[in-house]
Amino acid sequence: MKSPFLIGSIAALVLLSGCLSNSSPSAANPKGSSSSKQSGSFKVALLTLGPVDDAGWNALAYNGLQAVKTKLDAQVNNQVASGTQIKDALRSYAQQGYNLVIGHGYEYNAPAFDVAKNFPKTDFVTSSGSQTAPNLATFRFYLEQGFYLAGMMAAEMSKTGVIAQVGGDKVPPIASTFDAFEAGAKAANPKIKVLTVYTGNGNDVAAAKRATESVIAQHADFVIHQADNAAQGVFDACKEHHVFAFGANANQNDNQSGVVIASAVINADPAFVAVAQDVKDGTFKGSVRLVGMDTGAIEFDINPKFQAQIPAKVVASIQAAEAAIKSGKLVVPKLNF
Amino acid sequence: MSILSVRSIIATIPYAAPVAFAGLGESIGQLSGLINVGLEGMMLTGAYFALVGTTLFPGHFAVEAGFACGTIAAVLLAVISAIFTVWLNADQVVVGTAVNLLALGLTTTLFRDHYGQSGSLISLPSLHRTFGFDALTIAFLLLLPMSWFLVYRTGWGLAIRAAGDYPPAAESAGFSVRRLRTGAALIGGFMAGLGGAYLVLGTTATFTENMTAGRGFLAIALVTFGRWKPSWIALAALFLGLLDSLQYQLQATGIHISAYLLQSLPYLGALIVLSIAGTGSFAPKSLGIPLKSHE
Repeated sequence: MKSPFLIGSIAALVLLSGCLSNSSPSAANPKGSSSSKQSGSFKVALLTLGPVDDAGWNALAYNGLQAVKTKLDAQVNNQVASGTQIKDALRSYAQQGYNLVIGHGYEYNAPAFDVAKNFPKTDFVTSSGSQTAPNLATFRFYLEQGFYLAGMMAAEMSKTGVIAQVGGDKVPPIASTFDAFEAGAKAANPKIKVLTVYTGNGNDVAAAKRATESVIAQHADFVIHQADNAAQGVFDACKEHHVFAFGANANQNDNQSGVVIASAVINADPAFVAVAQDVKDGTFKGSVRLVGMDTGAIEFDINPKFQAQIPAKVVASIQAAEAAIKSGKLVVPKLNF
Repeated sequence: MSILSVRSIIATIPYAAPVAFAGLGESIGQLSGLINVGLEGMMLTGAYFALVGTTLFPGHFAVEAGFACGTIAAVLLAVISAIFTVWLNADQVVVGTAVNLLALGLTTTLFRDHYGQSGSLISLPSLHRTFGFDALTIAFLLLLPMSWFLVYRTGWGLAIRAAGDYPPAAESAGFSVRRLRTGAALIGGFMAGLGGAYLVLGTTATFTENMTAGRGFLAIALVTFGRWKPSWIALAALFLGLLDSLQYQLQATGIHISAYLLQSLPYLGALIVLSIAGTGSFAPKSLGIPLKSHE
């Protein structure tokens, strides 16, 4: 045993052997992915940027995948892949003969565009992104519609005239929803002040809480978030300082903090099932599939527990705006990315 | 809220504390000649097992149970780490990296196993806080003079510093450098576990995967920043915490500076202070060098 490095390497191997399949979340092949269950030859895979236990953006994709599994009797599998792992993950699913590979995030669009050319037998879908190919479609969840209504509600109810939004990473899909929140707020009250902060990390719950406290210190009394896993930090800060919060992506109205007055919700199940059905039927088209409130994919759910505190006037104006969005009379601004 | 008001400094304490706890423990380890790259993993382990302890023993002493489980788990990880680095003379950076990977894999797997795939945002009980202070931050204020006394005014402290500067000197004075370093490593593990558990039960009252988000690495940097002196390390942690708070306030003003740049403000601040203060000769001379090399 002469070389410290050699022994160190052995130590590393010993320590790693206990967690080989899980040495990092990205390499994880989590329990619950049912690759072992043979249920027909139709195979659908899902890739997410972060763990699917965030009760938010990633979780809703996982739930969508489970809907595909039950409704279309598909064999499903899911993995976390980000950064340089994305192309490898896309390729390996295609090589394993998956019929449909869904990359749940804007970050998957460009890599999928490169990979799709080489695997014509597999259809690819990415959640957001603008590049398409004959076998590459994208979802464009029009979550901006939900954020717009949240902005209206916050601006109409705010007593301080200041509302805020707390984000994780500053990526275009998040920035776009924040723009819509601001647009909705300004439409309801042109004088409203909207504060925006990003923590740079969707797992860092302490940072999310700190960021939320800093906007509350600047008198924000309504806070919306795009903080993924770290959302609880936003809600806890709101609870400690007695201000309202909005849930995002998933319906978070029942959060234990008891401060979530409404949620801007993506309901991915119908969109996922519809695209999987197209693949199964052979009618898949490589296009941008814009899914919004008109198909029920986007919802704005007011928490019934707070009904008594929300003026009827506010509810009425939100309902009117929602109807206008559904009928196409009101077009909520969105970034193209 | 002005950035240097008493209120904003007190508001920063719960955010600075996890890094300060871990940094204090790491400084003792480093003085004995051990650099613990696995600090991040030990914090994360402490954080996860604080969640486990709190949920296993609900009721009046849930928070205490959380702290106990978190620190015990982190100390166990420190024992494993010390076996390799101290007793088998393994490369400290490699072992530390392995510890980090182990902790990330282990906590992620166990968390998903217990809390399910699509998960839920968890709310936990937390430490009782009065005027911004809780039992642990007050305990930390007492730990500062105690650790200074331990390191600079006791025979054990002298031996620890000898083990970090010139191990043969400690050996010839009749001390076992391996035992000294093992003791220091366990103290480091305990403090890292405390920092991780505090992040869960003091700062946030919840747990998320990989929630330490680099705080362990930050703590290692703080030790250098704080010149291996307990109170300086605590002040450095507070300083970074204040810069972090400042950058959120700047972002909220809608200032036309990239959010990415503002997010790096605490680290830029630390870098500037380090470069002004100079590197000096404060570092233990045998830091990171396995004992074997001296024989």
